[in-house]
Amino acid sequence: MSPPAKGLSEFVAEANEILDLLGRDLLVLDEQRRSELDPDLVNRIFRGAHSLKGLSGMFGQDAMADLAHAAEEVLDRLRLGKIEPSAPVVDSLVEALDALQALLSEASREGHEGRSAERAKLLANRLSSLASFGPPPSSDELDEIGLPAQIRAVFTEYEEHRLKENVRKGVPLWRVRAAFDLTDFDVGLAKVNDALKPLGEVISTLPSAEPGAGSGIAFDLIFGSKSAAERIHQALIELPAKLAPLSGQPAPAPSPVAEEKAAAEPARKPATTKRHRVSVRPRRPTEAPPPARVELPRLHAEEGPTPTERREPDLSLRSLTQTVRVDIRRLDSLMNAVGELLLIRANVQRLAESALAAGAHAVSKLWGQELSRECRALERKLDELQTGILDARMVPLGQVFDKLARLVRRLAREAGKELDFAVSGGEVELDKLIVEELSDPLMHIIRNAIDHGVELPDERAEHGKPRRGTVSLRAEQRGNHVVIEVSDDGSGLDESRIRQVAVQRGLVVADQAQEMNRRELQNLIFLPGFSTARSVSAISGRGVGLDVVKTNIANLSGIIDVSSEAGRGTTLTLTLPVTLAIIRALMVSVSDRTYAVPLNSVLEIVSVEGSEIRTVERREVFSLRGRTLPFMRLARLFALPERPLSRHFVVVVGLAQERLGLAVDELIGQQDIVIKPLGGKLRHIPGIAGATDLGNRRTVLVLDIGALMEEVISPERRAEFI
Amino acid sequence: MSRFEELLGDFFYRPDEDTAGLLELPEAPADSSPAPKEERPGEHLVFVLEGERYAVPIGKVREILRVPPLTEIPRAPSSLLGVMNLRGDVLPVYDLKMRLKLSGQPPRVAGPPSEVEPLPRAARVLVVHGPDGDAGVLVDAVSEVVKLAPSQVEPPPPGLSGERDCVVGLGRQEEQLFILIDLDEALG
Repeated sequence: MSPPAKGLSEFVAEANEILDLLGRDLLVLDEQRRSELDPDLVNRIFRGAHSLKGLSGMFGQDAMADLAHAAEEVLDRLRLGKIEPSAPVVDSLVEALDALQALLSEASREGHEGRSAERAKLLANRLSSLASFGPPPSSDELDEIGLPAQIRAVFTEYEEHRLKENVRKGVPLWRVRAAFDLTDFDVGLAKVNDALKPLGEVISTLPSAEPGAGSGIAFDLIFGSKSAAERIHQALIELPAKLAPLSGQPAPAPSPVAEEKAAAEPARKPATTKRHRVSVRPRRPTEAPPPARVELPRLHAEEGPTPTERREPDLSLRSLTQTVRVDIRRLDSLMNAVGELLLIRANVQRLAESALAAGAHAVSKLWGQELSRECRALERKLDELQTGILDARMVPLGQVFDKLARLVRRLAREAGKELDFAVSGGEVELDKLIVEELSDPLMHIIRNAIDHGVELPDERAEHGKPRRGTVSLRAEQRGNHVVIEVSDDGSGLDESRIRQVAVQRGLVVADQAQEMNRRELQNLIFLPGFSTARSVSAISGRGVGLDVVKTNIANLSGIIDVSSEAGRGTTLTLTLPVTLAIIRALMVSVSDRTYAVPLNSVLEIVSVEGSEIRTVERREVFSLRGRTLPFMRLARLFALPERPLSRHFVVVVGLAQERLGLAVDELIGQQDIVIKPLGGKLRHIPGIAGATDLGNRRTVLVLDIGALMEEVISPERRAEFI
Repeated sequence: MSRFEELLGDFFYRPDEDTAGLLELPEAPADSSPAPKEERPGEHLVFVLEGERYAVPIGKVREILRVPPLTEIPRAPSSLLGVMNLRGDVLPVYDLKMRLKLSGQPPRVAGPPSEVEPLPRAARVLVVHGPDGDAGVLVDAVSEVVKLAPSQVEPPPPGLSGERDCVVGLGRQEEQLFILIDLDEALG
């Protein structure tokens, strides 16, 4: 049974959202591990795992559902305080999350279950064994406060646990009785909850037996708070709620429901309850009832999978966010439509101008003026529309950063290194497509920083550095670009070693290596086949990595740069355009043909005399401020009729580390263009990134600077294309 | 016993449970349809290349355009004349004559106006559904739409099919001859 593709994509999108949230929460959990856990946080993670289980089950993703279930079990015990949030527990949960992510991406490709399924099974087993042991139950503190049995009978296991925790810590307990009108009790209850939350913990919300006024309904909120009574009073002053200390006084008569529960309860053992609860999904071969479950002396009521259902009567079926998920291709087609509109506007503008020029008739002139004014208004609105659509494509970088933070944790542990991961600028927004493509390169870079950059703790101590290293990830918007920096405070790049390796691997000749300046030398690390790691580790050092990173970044019209200081650390800087959909381009002309050069790769424009062109190994070069750059005649490269010129306009383009001079006949100017990809077989034509039209029905090709540079740098590759 | 069951079955029989007829239905057309289908004439668009008349199934053709300005693609295969802009989409335009071995080199129709050869007034671009999405095909002229019944189509003469594998048959109507071509094959 395979659900329809649309259903699957919905599932993937929704599961992704849950996983993202889980990832973020787990990280916070990890930070809190040593101190006090926020019960709300643990509960939220538990609920996330639970919804994921349900969702995956619904879509027949059994491997995911089983793993989510195992994680849910562990989380359940965690929130009930039955197990400690120890490192192995949190690590397993983080690992489970990674495995779920892997399973999800397999599911989204609709492929067969691959290795991830195996891994998931192992993990699920490990989680189950984690869930099965824990500290013995603490003595029953609840006896001390003498809570009436009827009330205790209706607590869920979780509520009971929270209550005990509060008692154990000596937090004073309060009972807040709130009465509302039936019509809007959910709103009122939410208000009371909001008022109380900053001051303490709302442990349980129980329907009160004492009816409210008239057609009202009343609730008893069990509330634990260290705040002074006056402060709580203050918080509730505007609300229909009364505060009273919770004590062993005769409690209000239990509601009929509670009574029934209490009566039925002694017949059930907690373990049975538990099994009953999970049997919602019948098929589960790996599922075994948690063995040797420690029984609490107290029996508890179990209402359903999520106790919150009762605790939050304000739960509604309406979704919480005002967000719409849109396929990016739809935005692309809208973008195309806007591009067309801009062209039409240009045509209308031309009509207006010709009417103005034919100024012999006053009427025609007037008409031309009117038309041209309307045109300007149209232009402004179209600009707005264009910006709006571009904005809709933007997503915060935080999406990727969160995933990376999880990875760092694991990698650091595997490499035996202690480090802090500092992230900033997660709110910076980039085009969705770019953000997607960024995660792999960033992962490579961070792996490198951990594996080669940050030293082992002992080594750091020897050099007088703190034992814990720091890897930081920063993003910042600068105009139309976003700059992402990954830096570490490790040993820095070993220049003599780079020189040695580069010569050894035949990447440069020895003389060349001696002449290179520091920056050039450092940038050798981006060459294919370069890796200085002496040992091949699981993390990096397989000789691929930075060159792939460089290619990926170049594909996004980005630039990568490295700077490093021995003993102080290394920083890699990525500069990326904010969007790829609309780019600013420099229009150039060669042999009467117009081409667009993406402006983000244009560094400068210089004029070069024919006499300044020299040849090195029969290839033309020219000098720019002491640096020798390849000189590439676009006309010759494209086999167009060349014009004899004594002076060339040279567009100096740069991508990543490379620089290249592109000789053209004329410069036309700058323009915003919408790039349209060339489909079908044209996709493989080298040097052309796409096409755009400028309103005169003629299509203009957009140069693929990355591919052109590749050709100049390795001419043998060009032979393959022709 | 079985007779008893039969009786009971008859007693509880409801006509709407009888689905035997329904199950047979899907098979019925399969038996009878091939004959009429074979005789249904297919509509073909006829166009001219170097004086010869070629035909493609009309369903393959999206529209017929006057030749728009074409932009040449440097270093592309010579059968690709260039790209055109059709209401915002960039489509490749191909030359069929080279593929059909009607000429040795492509016409210069793309590039700046000063370098472009003038085309015959009747020249058109057919926008067709190709194997890699829509594509344009330059033809000397578009002449008509003909209906060709399968009985009017003969297989290509042996000498033709070897070299020009995109020719799938010859259509004959009265005195006229049409060369049927497989566009997917020709553009693939």
